[in-house]
Amino acid sequence: MKKIISLLAIILIFTACKDNNAKDNGKLNIVTTTTMLTDLVQNIGGDMVNAQGLMGSGVDPHLYKASEGDVSKLVNADIIFYSGLHLEGKLVEVLEKMESSNKTTIALADALDKKTLIGSEYFASNYDPHVWFDINYFEQFAEKTAAVLAEKDPTNAAKYEANKNAYIIKLEALQNTIKQTIETLPKEKRVLVTAHDAFNYFGKAYGFEVVGLQGISTATEAGVQDVQKLATFIIDKQIKAIFIESSVPKRTIEALQASVNSKGHDVKIGGTLYSDALGTTGTVEGTYIGMFEYNVNTIVNALK
Amino acid sequence: MNSAQIEIQLIASLVAIACAIPGTFLVLRKMAMISDAISHAILPGIVIGFFVTQDLNSPVLILLAALTGIITVVLVEYIQKTGLVKEDTAIGLVFPALFSIGVILIAKNANDVHLDVDAVLLGELAFAPFDRLLIGGTDVGPKSLWVIGSILLVTISLLILFFKELKVSTFDTGLSASLGFSPAIIHYGLMSVSSVTTVGAFDAVGAILVVALMIAPAASAYLLTTDLKKMLALAISFGVFSAVFGYWVAHWLDASIAGSITTMLGIVFLLVYLFAPSKGIIAVMYRERQQRTEVSLLTFLLHLKNHEELEERHVNHLYEHINWQKVRARSVLDLAQKNNMILIEKNIVSLTKKGNEFTSKAIDYIITNEDSQIEDMKDDFFLFRG
Repeated sequence: MKKIISLLAIILIFTACKDNNAKDNGKLNIVTTTTMLTDLVQNIGGDMVNAQGLMGSGVDPHLYKASEGDVSKLVNADIIFYSGLHLEGKLVEVLEKMESSNKTTIALADALDKKTLIGSEYFASNYDPHVWFDINYFEQFAEKTAAVLAEKDPTNAAKYEANKNAYIIKLEALQNTIKQTIETLPKEKRVLVTAHDAFNYFGKAYGFEVVGLQGISTATEAGVQDVQKLATFIIDKQIKAIFIESSVPKRTIEALQASVNSKGHDVKIGGTLYSDALGTTGTVEGTYIGMFEYNVNTIVNALK
Repeated sequence: MNSAQIEIQLIASLVAIACAIPGTFLVLRKMAMISDAISHAILPGIVIGFFVTQDLNSPVLILLAALTGIITVVLVEYIQKTGLVKEDTAIGLVFPALFSIGVILIAKNANDVHLDVDAVLLGELAFAPFDRLLIGGTDVGPKSLWVIGSILLVTISLLILFFKELKVSTFDTGLSASLGFSPAIIHYGLMSVSSVTTVGAFDAVGAILVVALMIAPAASAYLLTTDLKKMLALAISFGVFSAVFGYWVAHWLDASIAGSITTMLGIVFLLVYLFAPSKGIIAVMYRERQQRTEVSLLTFLLHLKNHEELEERHVNHLYEHINWQKVRARSVLDLAQKNNMILIEKNIVSLTKKGNEFTSKAIDYIITNEDSQIEDMKDDFFLFRG
């Protein structure tokens, strides 16, 4: 026993020597969970904050696994923004607990009016977490983010406010563009079939009927019956295209396509939609606005 | 290194020690897979706990989980005692049944709640430092550090108190019963400790790492020693080494901590498996090759003793007659010569006096098959081994 304890002590002392160089330089260290939030914080915080995301592009937030580097990110964070409504699975619980040990963690979805959210049929307090697909909600995220940043860093409060206003103007413009794009699609063709139920808010806000193959949680698998039912639905409605999502394996959607095709109806795969994560950083789809435009264009073009 | 990193290594090391102790006994009792079984079979305990408390964060869920773990062990023991199936079969029968009861309970009654083992037991080492224990508003450290610390303390006390009993009942159940310790009580005690450790460690580090930490260090230690105390010490050292080193591998690679620790455990076992002095694969291969040469040498000497004819003893003939490859025949000849067993004159091989005596003894042994005959021969025979 003694040997082991001394061994441990030696290792700890040895490793303690190479200390982390905390890059403070006066900026707020901000950690976000999903790529959407990282983009949002970068837009509002600009150069005044260090924003780091935990989940990369293409990561499914329900199934996110932490890596060693995430520990240091969380430890050094001044503010942690997350989406909430159980989107980040167990991480939400951890973040809620961190709140009690005086770290600022903000669930942006808490800022939304719960009555307007889409709830679970059986359990009153469970909501669909994919709120960012309604741009109005994302604008509220922006308001909340700016308010929190201003509170934590009062010297730059005016700049945050200005950035936020500029960003909201962009979001409004985005909203107008996509509404115009959607107008070009006849009403009866506005049916969106995807792998999981991520697009309910999108459907509600922009007049699409949304059908997902799996439930809200991507952890469950689609059953044979789900595929058959959905195949009949697609044929009845004469739907031209169905969609893959970037953070969900395309296997199930391909199975659905095969099932529809075998019944004599030709359905295309309309393209890959970004659902729970943005595209690669640096590309147009790597920003919230670019992602949204891309999704809408893909949907409208494929269903026309 | 920040405090969270130190805490993670501390938690991982404590879990490693807490797992290595019951793990050593599980490996010796050939019940290693029971920890995997427990980690699955606790699901119904969690589900029932949720139905009773309606709260995913209640400690009742974890208590019931540990209890289901013990039930698993009792059922396995019961089925195995019937003598109709083997231990591993009994494990395989019990835990899928319990697990599926849990799955059915969820499907019937709680399909809309995110209820599974993961939802109740955190199982992510990276987040462990952020789940703090607050006593009267003061932060006293990560909760899992306290949970694992307490489990470890109980485990070590039990180990010290019942070391003799555990030792005897592990290696000789009959003897232990005749000495007056009930093997059943020791067995259930050990299994309860394993169950509680599995559930507690599961919460801190996740299911796969628990199974790996219970089995891999003990299995590696098993290859290195036959002394129980040494085996325990080695298992603990391997576990702690893998935990700390695995953590730093995860740091360098920015990868999952549990994944890196498990990989380290695998590497440690592989190295021990290859290089262990007596049971390692390289040592075994070396020994087998030596034995093969020894047997060949003996065959060769017997052949010489049986044949007086010159043509039977010609070097070239030996290659054909005994049907050896030239290289092997050469090495056997060299060996025999080195030990002064044979003489080679003009390519004719003959036994020396020493070789003759040696071969006679060997024949005696083959005929009588008495061990005493071969005892003093070993000195001659294994000369070349040194």
